[in-house]
Amino acid sequence: MSRPWKDLKVRYQDDLRLFGSPTLRAGLVVMVFAYLFIPVWWETFAVTRLVEGWGLTMTTLNYAGIFAIGALGLNLLTGYTGQVSLGHSVFIGVGAYFTAYAGATWGLPFWLWLPGATLLGFAVGFLIGPFALRLRGNYLVVVTLGLVFVGDHVFRNWKSVTGGNTGVSVSKASLEVGPFDFRDLTLFGHGFEKQQSFFWLIWGFVAVTALLVKNIVRTRPGRALQAVRDRDIAAEIIGIDLFRYKTMAFAISSAIAAMAGGLYGTLQAYVSPIDFGLLVAIQYIAMVILGGLGTVHGSIIGALFVGALPRVIDGLAKDYDLPGVGGDKGGLGGILSVSSLNHVIFGLLIAGFLLLEPRGIAGILARVRAYFKAWPFSY
Amino acid sequence: MIQLLQGLFDGVAMGAQYSVIVLGFVVIYRATGIINFAQGGFVLIGAYVTYNVSQTWGWNFYLALLVSILVTAGVSMVVQRILLQWVLRETVGVALLLVLWAVFYFNGWGHVSAVATAAVVGLIGYGVTRRIEQHLGTGQTKELPVFGSIMVTIGLLFVIKQIVPSIWGFSELNMGDPWGLNVTKVGGLVLSHAKLWTIGLMAAALVAFFAVNRYTKIGVAMRATHFDHEAAVAQGISLRVVFAVAFGIAGGVAALAGTTAGAGIAQLTPNLDLVVFFAFPAMILGGFDSPGGAVLGGVIIGIVQNLTKVYQPEWDLQWLGVGFDRVAVYIVMLLVLMVRPYGLFGTKEVHRV
Repeated sequence: MSRPWKDLKVRYQDDLRLFGSPTLRAGLVVMVFAYLFIPVWWETFAVTRLVEGWGLTMTTLNYAGIFAIGALGLNLLTGYTGQVSLGHSVFIGVGAYFTAYAGATWGLPFWLWLPGATLLGFAVGFLIGPFALRLRGNYLVVVTLGLVFVGDHVFRNWKSVTGGNTGVSVSKASLEVGPFDFRDLTLFGHGFEKQQSFFWLIWGFVAVTALLVKNIVRTRPGRALQAVRDRDIAAEIIGIDLFRYKTMAFAISSAIAAMAGGLYGTLQAYVSPIDFGLLVAIQYIAMVILGGLGTVHGSIIGALFVGALPRVIDGLAKDYDLPGVGGDKGGLGGILSVSSLNHVIFGLLIAGFLLLEPRGIAGILARVRAYFKAWPFSY
Repeated sequence: MIQLLQGLFDGVAMGAQYSVIVLGFVVIYRATGIINFAQGGFVLIGAYVTYNVSQTWGWNFYLALLVSILVTAGVSMVVQRILLQWVLRETVGVALLLVLWAVFYFNGWGHVSAVATAAVVGLIGYGVTRRIEQHLGTGQTKELPVFGSIMVTIGLLFVIKQIVPSIWGFSELNMGDPWGLNVTKVGGLVLSHAKLWTIGLMAAALVAFFAVNRYTKIGVAMRATHFDHEAAVAQGISLRVVFAVAFGIAGGVAALAGTTAGAGIAQLTPNLDLVVFFAFPAMILGGFDSPGGAVLGGVIIGIVQNLTKVYQPEWDLQWLGVGFDRVAVYIVMLLVLMVRPYGLFGTKEVHRV
């Protein structure tokens, strides 16, 4: 039986399908294609070379991928469960330092340290979660903020593991998966650079994480989390164990963050406490908000946006002489440095987005989609 | 014994600053229900304006302090109107002011003439937008959800934190306060004049606030607003005025705290806003919506921080690391929250199903 209209859904399963419409299926094909061939063709096409000229290199994409993994974890907690956490960077740090230690001291292989980092993140989140989630709303915001300061202190002072203020090298952590070594990948007799092979590794994990988060939120546990977000007392009355679901959301979110941290460490090859401070925590929450709270694709778009923005501003400031912006001299004599400009634009973006489009980029996309759904008739 | 007393004195001086900063948070929270992260930015602005007036212009320090309190209170009110209530005419005015100030300045004008000219154009822009709004019949204020407002204030903190050093630079500055390094010795106690003045000024500010809150009409209006927004409006209380006064008070006390935090031995640097992050535990400890709790929480946190600093080497706790005193306050906060989730004096939120 042919359907009267392509978007008509007659069964609940249809509504749950990940790629339910022809447009989305086409999008899936495009994404798989991009995933496979971007690293190969990045240097070839005029478009991508132009983009690279703005500062969007493979490295930027890789960092954005790691941000995306972390943001997906945070979105599970903040977007779907409604528990605002400013302490996400601590769990990223836990994963990164575990990777540094496990890679250098224990010499664990990739397939052991990555699950190890994830499990450690889960355990830390599981232990901290019940304390943090006893609180609500604004109290939770400030307590998780405290977590950043405590974490920062531990990272700076547990010198045997974290190397103190100067940090620690992660370059000893193995990246060999079976026959592939992602530091120095050779496929079909062709050697690839570090950033190219990392792209496949990291964005593969982005896809897996996105699928995981999506599957959590579209099944029973996810519906329970959203019920907790919408009204926790009502959720408890219909039989949802608040404590259990909040703790699990916190633990899973930290586990994902720790995994992102492990990958972050290997990509950057060196981590220090400054990589896991308050600024990073705010960046993560900004990704989730800019992308769109409670949407999976929103987190990824937000991460791309926040990851790419500083590079683009750096690139543009280098090419064009922006008035009042001087190299890296710092703010002497009424001149903003490029990094200050970055902070200013970042701050204005957070504020502007929340004022003009509180649902983030995903909200804009949804509006565009709603417009074209009935195009050319507006209703 | 002397050591303990010295620690207590320093702790109370630091705690007095925390109390006043937290008072700013609490006042805004009571009126509008948001946490104003931009308070750190106001602390910075206040401290640097005092520096500018007293050192660059050479005015009397106390006069500079007064100017700074007024200026910061004004900035705070404008920020509230524009960013948190999103009033178009004021947005246009201030945007014109800032953009033209930058443009004139980078075309070789001095700061004063640039600001003056830009202010005139900004005022004209304000008037024109207002006429247009009246003509179109718009001009309604708009309110954001609570979490959104918090993020807006974080974004604002980012902006202020970059703009302040771009005007005054990153180097350490001397505030030019008359207290300097003077001390009075009582027994073995060393009482630094800067700290004594800090305690005195903060106490005066707190007394003034509590008097206003208790005995004046606007104080009653603020308490009523805290109790119930809609009922307050129904009684003829203007929320606009209450919000503006709340932000004004917060900005003023931030300037006071920032100035004293940068005075004395401490120098003025763009990292001064960090003091706000160490005041957060005080706010939580006292409870979000209790001014009395703010005072008590601030003093407790100040004392805990200083005593930790004093006794950490003595009790062989060096393995806890440098700067443990700043973490200790967060740990105290967590411990209190485990027992009392709404702080010592916070109102318990009642949820209706």
